[in-house]
Amino acid sequence: MSLTRYGYANAINGFFEFPTENARRVLPSGMEPVEVHHGSSVLAVTVFHFDESEVGEYGEVVYAVLVPPFVEDGRLPKGAFYPYQVATTTKAARQHAMERWHLPHWMDDVETELEPSADGKSLTARAKAEGTLALEMTITDHSWDEVSHLYQSFQQDDDGKYMCNILFEGEKSEHEEETGRIKLHDHPFNKGIMISEVFEQPFREMWMRKGHQLFDPLRTL
Amino acid sequence: MEPARKRVADRQAFAEYDYSNFYYGAGDDPLNLLKPFANWYKDARPNGYYLYQEALGSAPSTHVRVRNGKTKQWQDLLNLASYNYLGISYRPEVKRAAAEALEKYGLGASGSPILSGTFEIHEQFEDELARFKDKESCILFPTGYSANVGFISALMRPGDTIFLDQYSHASIVDGAILAKSKTVFFRHNNPMDLERKMARAQGKKLVVVEGVYSMDGDICALPEVLEVSKRHGARMLIDEAHSTFLFGPKGRGVAEHFGLDKEVDFHLGTFSKSLGGQGGFVCGTQELADYVVAFSRSRFFSCNLSPVLTAGLRAALQIASEEPELRARLWSNCAFLRRRFEEEGVDIGNSNSQVMPVMVNNDAKVFAVAEKIQNRGLFLNPVTYPAVPKHRSRLRISVSAAHSEEDLDQAVGIIAGVLREEGICP
Repeated sequence: MSLTRYGYANAINGFFEFPTENARRVLPSGMEPVEVHHGSSVLAVTVFHFDESEVGEYGEVVYAVLVPPFVEDGRLPKGAFYPYQVATTTKAARQHAMERWHLPHWMDDVETELEPSADGKSLTARAKAEGTLALEMTITDHSWDEVSHLYQSFQQDDDGKYMCNILFEGEKSEHEEETGRIKLHDHPFNKGIMISEVFEQPFREMWMRKGHQLFDPLRTL
Repeated sequence: MEPARKRVADRQAFAEYDYSNFYYGAGDDPLNLLKPFANWYKDARPNGYYLYQEALGSAPSTHVRVRNGKTKQWQDLLNLASYNYLGISYRPEVKRAAAEALEKYGLGASGSPILSGTFEIHEQFEDELARFKDKESCILFPTGYSANVGFISALMRPGDTIFLDQYSHASIVDGAILAKSKTVFFRHNNPMDLERKMARAQGKKLVVVEGVYSMDGDICALPEVLEVSKRHGARMLIDEAHSTFLFGPKGRGVAEHFGLDKEVDFHLGTFSKSLGGQGGFVCGTQELADYVVAFSRSRFFSCNLSPVLTAGLRAALQIASEEPELRARLWSNCAFLRRRFEEEGVDIGNSNSQVMPVMVNNDAKVFAVAEKIQNRGLFLNPVTYPAVPKHRSRLRISVSAAHSEEDLDQAVGIIAGVLREEGICP
């Protein structure tokens, strides 16, 4: 079976603590969040700039909750997530992801930008939906390694439950220096999140560049 | 931007994972993480994790015999790992008191403190400890862990809110879990973040802090945190596991050090650090003690402290009370070590106590550094993620009053030499 490849120039990700009760509200029944502390789960916000894919170049914003990975023989995933909202800058990218991966989408095009700081040590993502700013997130860098990391994504819709192995390969900086920041605006795009309960500083920041995601074929659970 | 400096193949496979990767796993079999963990640990152990749980073959004094976890050979090492901050555990008076109690009472208490396990010696020790802490009453617990778990869950209920520093000890977190209260973490030693979190809370509130934080060795910002807590109507518990018998004019702890002994509502401590024994305690009013005795399940449903241990602890408390020069010696040693580290360019973070983290800040190298240091004659503990944040790996040092300056100078020489070889310090 063939893999699906998405090449990215940059992707930044922040892990933000938010209440487990909030995490449970955005997860489907039967799925439990991973807790970083008792009562605190993880909102993972990722902004991608894909520069190579079956549907061309596009930007993507993913809101996900960390969940336990599925354990089976073979390589152990580094982690797993349940994306509960995905937004793209193009209709083609959105339709492709909905059909192939059953990902839940914001149904309009969004505008994304990734702006580096003058010293190149941080990247700020901004996402506009319906013409107004919904999200600003800054992620800082640390040391860069060439990595190959396996993650899992769980999806669920009216048709069924799914799981997909995703290999992230490329350059990656990861740290817990608490130097990044997120600003979630009061916007329909952020529905489901109790904004005031989300930590403004990520406890973990990841910046990936010059890499790709390799998706295994979707598995029905 | 810095270029990526390693290739995937350069790293050992075990280093891609850590304990946190084996905690959660979806599926139907409760044992499904055992095999992946075993496969990982098979590689991780010889590559550094063997440095945990190495067996000692002597008293935890300034020099110890340690069985190397990799070679299984005994090594005679300078000890900077034990919590024996005042060097009391092996004092002749302590050993003699324990030996006499063993002869009189036999080995254990043979009962819960609430039923048949309370001996006269326990009551004597509680009274002596209450006097030392200048409190009405004191209750003993079998361990420090059970003191936090038992006290917090005795007092707090579902619907209440417990505010914890993000670096809180596991026993505090587990106490909050057992209480089933809402748990809110605030940024480490950050009263402004606590202020933000408390502004939204309703109902009964408890703030828990530690006198000295055990991974960073920094002391609590007590005046500021207490001010926020009081303004929001919260009660405060201070866990002085690493600070009782050390800080303050009388050695009562960090609360006394700040002159806030009477302002903090609940005082908790342990006997496993400065007294070199085992067990925990909570001090406060008699009303508090009576209530906690009735509702603290970790105490109620455990065997009481052994009378043998209790006798040793009484002797240890007497030494700690009557020999303030031990504390003076400890702080002199800490000042000496801090100065020597500074001279050598060794980073010890924000430590301002007898717990000093030698910052390696390199998760990939921390075990190799610790291994070299041990093989050059020094016993200390590596600490890495998830016990501390990523890239904040360190070697944790516990200074003792029993160390000589020669001991400490030797330790600095070994540590600085290895850190230089590994390119970690200038």
